Amino acid sequence: MGLLLALVLGLLVTACSGGAPAGDASSGGADPSLQKIKDVGVLRVGTEGTYAPFTYHDPANNQLTGYDVEAIEAVAAKLGVRTEFVEAPFDSIFASLQAERFDLVANQVTKNPQRDATYALSDTYTVSDGVIVTRADDGSITSLADLKGKTTAQSSTSNWAQVAKDAGAKVEAVEGFTQGVTLVKQGRVDATVNDNLAVAEYTKTTGDTSVKIAAKTGDTSEQVFAMRKADVSLRDAVNTALAQVKQDGQLTQISEKYFGQDVSQGEASPQQEQPAQAAPQSTWQLIKETAGPMALAALKATIPLTAISFVVGLVIALVVALMRLSRVGVVSQLARFYISVIRGTPLLVQLFLIFYGLPAIGLTFNPFTAAVIAFSLNVGGYAAEIIRAAILSVPRGQWEAAQTIGMGYATTLRRIVLPQAARTAVPPLSNTLISLVKDTSLASVVLVTELLRVAQVAAAPTFKFFALYGVAAAYYWVICLVLSFVQGRLEHRLERYVAR
Amino acid sequence: MSEQQDPPRTEDVDGQPLVEVVGLAKAFGGVEVLRDVEFTVPTGSVTVLIGPSGSGKTTVLRCLNALETGDAGTVRIGDVSVDYAQHPGKRVLGRLRGQSAMVFQAHNLFPHLTVLRNVTEGPVVVQGKPREEAEAQARALLESVGLGGKADQHPYQLSGGQQQRVGIARALALQPELLLFDEPTSALDPELVGEVLAVMKDLAVQGRTMVVVTHEMRFAQSVSDQVLFMDGGVVVERGEPAAVLTDPREARTRTFLQRVLNPI
Repeated sequence: MGLLLALVLGLLVTACSGGAPAGDASSGGADPSLQKIKDVGVLRVGTEGTYAPFTYHDPANNQLTGYDVEAIEAVAAKLGVRTEFVEAPFDSIFASLQAERFDLVANQVTKNPQRDATYALSDTYTVSDGVIVTRADDGSITSLADLKGKTTAQSSTSNWAQVAKDAGAKVEAVEGFTQGVTLVKQGRVDATVNDNLAVAEYTKTTGDTSVKIAAKTGDTSEQVFAMRKADVSLRDAVNTALAQVKQDGQLTQISEKYFGQDVSQGEASPQQEQPAQAAPQSTWQLIKETAGPMALAALKATIPLTAISFVVGLVIALVVALMRLSRVGVVSQLARFYISVIRGTPLLVQLFLIFYGLPAIGLTFNPFTAAVIAFSLNVGGYAAEIIRAAILSVPRGQWEAAQTIGMGYATTLRRIVLPQAARTAVPPLSNTLISLVKDTSLASVVLVTELLRVAQVAAAPTFKFFALYGVAAAYYWVICLVLSFVQGRLEHRLERYVAR
Repeated sequence: MSEQQDPPRTEDVDGQPLVEVVGLAKAFGGVEVLRDVEFTVPTGSVTVLIGPSGSGKTTVLRCLNALETGDAGTVRIGDVSVDYAQHPGKRVLGRLRGQSAMVFQAHNLFPHLTVLRNVTEGPVVVQGKPREEAEAQARALLESVGLGGKADQHPYQLSGGQQQRVGIARALALQPELLLFDEPTSALDPELVGEVLAVMKDLAVQGRTMVVVTHEMRFAQSVSDQVLFMDGGVVVERGEPAAVLTDPREARTRTFLQRVLNPI
């Protein structure tokens, strides 16, 4: 899935940047990017929120925090604007930047020539060493060269994926460092490459001794803020502000808070001591604290997303089903084509096209709306065939009887045919609905903070995937149980006029 | 087509029969199912269509109700006249349909509605009658077909004969000029046929104009005013029941009647 994701995003990014007014369109005068942000008074920052200690939610109060978060807040303060954080998975963070979901990425973006060519990059605010993490009992990797022929787990768009690939390793795509290191522990991959700071944080938080730093990659990486290529005036202002926070010691202070040392410039080496954070929470405590926010996400995102999409989807489905039944060839073919496209393409791709693709032609929807559109269109395609079959299951004589008492098409449909078709349609439509409940978890890739996303955010800094995903699974299950119960009642109601 | 010397009661008192069919023709995908069909139905009379299956009886009935459109010929019911050769539009066909009401072989009651709702659906939804008035009328109609106590049941709770009587009440509720029956007893168990025929006989006595497709020769004999024998899409013979059923002039009619009356 990760590979597909990366592919689609890659295409979209290319498409977007091709169409965007990028490049040297305004090389003469100052571009309006800085002025726009100052006018609004808000700098919108894209960040993962699942990459401790750089960008994560503090388990104690669920607030977004971290070194990157505080650093960009300090920079924004110098610019005289507020920050507004938008959380996005790293694999879609650059696509979101190009789609103008936010103005700047603060997420340990490592400087490399390719990014330098595509984005406006700030000066360095973190320097770190690349390291290779393996299982503690694995002695087969002692240098970068040993990665040849091995399998590593990386975010597919991260520069560490490139480092591993260049060394001859096979790369499995994951979402972020925490998933990568989990795969290493589970023996599913041999290693994961990342910077020493992230690894140090992991060891510190978990006290995990089953993995070790097996080798340095030998390269020092510099992390920068990334902005759109055209936003030169913003980049220049960010650089000025960054220089100020470096000079007045603010950045060093932030760095020491998180790492116990200054990582903002020069040589960095991880320190294993000093437990800067509170003692690791017990799993039960974590579940107790996360259960509330997860229920809230279910109520505020998962359930409304499902309900709205299902209702809108049914309306689309009815129209498409009637078109499909039409005797006019073109109309029927159009409906066939729609159903074929919806059923023949992955829902994830449909989501991506609507959220990341449509901005390229000037249609930008907020995350929730984009998800509703994608899910509604999807339900429309699947349910259309169910409704068509249900309408066909109503005997011809019913249409004729309605016709002879003088009813027109619409009245016959509404009063005679659909009520009877409902009986046939309810069981398969319930299937569609229950699938939809679970499919809404995909909305996290278009930045909707739904149930699964909350579990991911909580799991990331604590590495308690099993427990939190287990809770998420339980929530989904409960929702589906309730729906199954309602389905049973509804079927019973609709069966009442049929001889048994 | 046979010439009839003295067709029974073909004219109303004022000289205009209620129904007049001239030159009706119809083909399904190149196969001729009706050819040059002509007949009249005087107001207040009962016409029975008989003939072997596939002879076109039901198609004639459906053309009268505009469930089927003819390819050529005219159909006039009361003051609504349709010339099928002119490819009439939906509105004209709708007006023609409004002149008659159909009782189906398979009754085609609406299974999701109560008996009462089945009867009031047309008057309330299509004709815009106030529900109270329509329900009072429907209850009276159900009473008249012997189903006064069944108003609040659903069709599945009734026997076949009761269902068909609801079908008749549903047709009557539309207050049509003409009642059409398409083999109303063919799908019933033999012991249930009588109750439906009795209701139809009552209607005939009340002076309703009816066109009935049926194989019930006893009914044709005793209730109808004229009998049409159809075969191969044409009206072969037409006349008073006594004449057509007991002393047919055409060989085809004779053969058919022999088969029907003495099946073994």
